Amino acid sequence: MKYRYQEEMSPPPARRATDVAITRFEHVYEVEPGLMTEHVTQQTFPNWDTLRLVRSRADHLAWMHRHFADKVISGEELLHDLDE
Amino acid sequence: MSVLIGDPVLDELRQILGPGHVLTGKADRLNRARVPAPFPVHRWAERMPDLVVLPASTEEVAEVLKLANRLRIPVVPRDGGTGLTDGAVPLCGGIVVDVKRINAIREIDLGNRTCTVGTGINALKLNEVLARHDLIYPDDPASYPCSLVGGRIGTSGWSLIGSRYGHSRDLVLSFDHVLPTGKVIHVGDGIGRKITKSSSGYQLKHLFMGHQGTLGIATEATLKLFPRPEAEFSPFWAFEDYDSAYRAVGALARAGVATFAGAVLFDEWKVAYLRRDDEAYIPQPSSVKALVCAALYGYEDEVRAGGRRLMRIARSHGARYLGDEISEGDWAARHDRYATPLHGRTRSGQVVPMSWHCEDASINYTGLPAVRLAWHEIADRLRRESDVFDDWGMFAYTNGATGADYLTEIDIGIWEQRLDDTAWEAWVRAKRDLAAVSLAHGGSISACHGSCREGEVDLVPEELGGGYDVMLDIKRTIDPNNIMNPGKYLLDQAYAEKS
Ligand SMILES: Cc1cc2nc3c(=O)[nH]c(=O)nc-3n(C[C@H](O)[C@H](O)[C@H](O)COP(=O)(O)OP(=O)(O)OC[C@H]3O[C@@H](n4cnc5c(N)ncnc54)[C@H](O)[C@@H]3O)c2cc1C
Repeated sequence: MKYRYQEEMSPPPARRATDVAITRFEHVYEVEPGLMTEHVTQQTFPNWDTLRLVRSRADHLAWMHRHFADKVISGEELLHDLDE
Repeated sequence: MSVLIGDPVLDELRQILGPGHVLTGKADRLNRARVPAPFPVHRWAERMPDLVVLPASTEEVAEVLKLANRLRIPVVPRDGGTGLTDGAVPLCGGIVVDVKRINAIREIDLGNRTCTVGTGINALKLNEVLARHDLIYPDDPASYPCSLVGGRIGTSGWSLIGSRYGHSRDLVLSFDHVLPTGKVIHVGDGIGRKITKSSSGYQLKHLFMGHQGTLGIATEATLKLFPRPEAEFSPFWAFEDYDSAYRAVGALARAGVATFAGAVLFDEWKVAYLRRDDEAYIPQPSSVKALVCAALYGYEDEVRAGGRRLMRIARSHGARYLGDEISEGDWAARHDRYATPLHGRTRSGQVVPMSWHCEDASINYTGLPAVRLAWHEIADRLRRESDVFDDWGMFAYTNGATGADYLTEIDIGIWEQRLDDTAWEAWVRAKRDLAAVSLAHGGSISACHGSCREGEVDLVPEELGGGYDVMLDIKRTIDPNNIMNPGKYLLDQAYAEKS
């Protein structure tokens, strides 16, 4: 997290991902802002909060795996076995 | 037949339950008037209960039902309130019996691999305790964090991993059940609490599951437990067309892999929907038109062996593995898939707040392609009529390990704040049409939620035929004064016939 308010409130420049989505942080997507002008408008988020939301979700999903089983098997590993 | 509840009734209820457990406040009642399924918010007042009670034991539930039966007051049981067929929505006022306080774990029987719990507990909380014994209660709906055991019994629910472990009806062994008259019975296979198979007498357990609270209230249940899985495998694959994905899911489900817990087919509309908003699918190339995933649970050596077999089958059907990150992330999200704020799009593409509705049916494998086209035609009609509706695509989930039939769901976004009588009427008509398609293809109107909402319920007598007449007879016999959840499943007819 950056100390200065302004730094946190200036997100990295957007790159277009598709017709309806843009991206500013790796693996993080936002609705194309033009599509959020009439009924639901976009909110301004500090960068740390955007990243916190994404990481919290990832933490939750990791917890969900641990909740159901001790270990998750990797499909990439199994594919590798098949190719051998 | 809304009942005005006067002070003497309140006094009596307070004596039974203690003053803090009889709620009459507007917020307490408003919160228990609806469920997450689309709700005619413009007619909220018509669904308000007169009061809410929070019993703590079977005896208290029995006393409440005796009083209600004596005074002919409607009673609606409510647990997590996540049901999607309006089961816990009061249609005639009266008393909501919220069973969440009956949530103790009474016994964990390690020798017989069972546990006995109050029906106000949910599987997530129960499994946190069972994990200490390396056990799991594997009833796993997509509402896993918030639906409760009593609601699973009231709906006879469906589980994501049911192809391996069975669904609620297989996992609940027996339960204490309070009849509408207040009499308490114990239902299971035979009389045993922990018996998994009996041939003694009628099989009442099935009758008292899935009745949507129209036959009484389950208060304490004994559940079947399994070893907590050592390993999980949940591959997701992409396909270039629906037909290949359809053939692949059929082959995976029919493979007979012992650790196979379920497979899901995503159609083209679902992929298009995910491309708008889901970080896993936004970056996928446009050649991805359909998806399949599978889940396996068990000991690591078994899961690895079964997993390799399924990977080989998928590859032979033209699948591209989407990688560990998407596979793991998306499967974990299935357990609470929709517990996130949702938004849809108007026809011009603008974002609007929408609630999610899932229309579910049980359809045989061979019927899936045709039902999909017919259902999307109906959703498309809704979409053309109004911006209130949005087609969010379809999933088909295996119901069992042999791949005979699938929980087939179409997800429709609804802009509730814009619902008016015209839009509601269009929605109810669409629901009726969706149900008619299921029946025309030899399916059942619902695989998991039940079928007592406006629209679909009109076709239940057609689906059940002579069985529906038996339902009316049973309802009249068990609930002579029609106090339990009146207005549901068109069962009020049972009393009209009598008079
Ligand atoms: C995001 C989401 C995902 C979902 N995914 C699934 C899924 O994968 N599988 C599935 O099966 N369902 C699913 N559902 C629907 C719902 O979660 C289930 O129907 C669940 O079984 C309802 O449980 P509940 O505790 O919320 O019950 P409630 O909604 O409170 O009640 C459901 C019905 O049971 C009756 N009832 C409640 N308690 C009792 C009792 N103690 N005795 C007798 N009757 C009672 C009620 O009157 C009502 O008719 C989903 C819902 C949501 C919101």
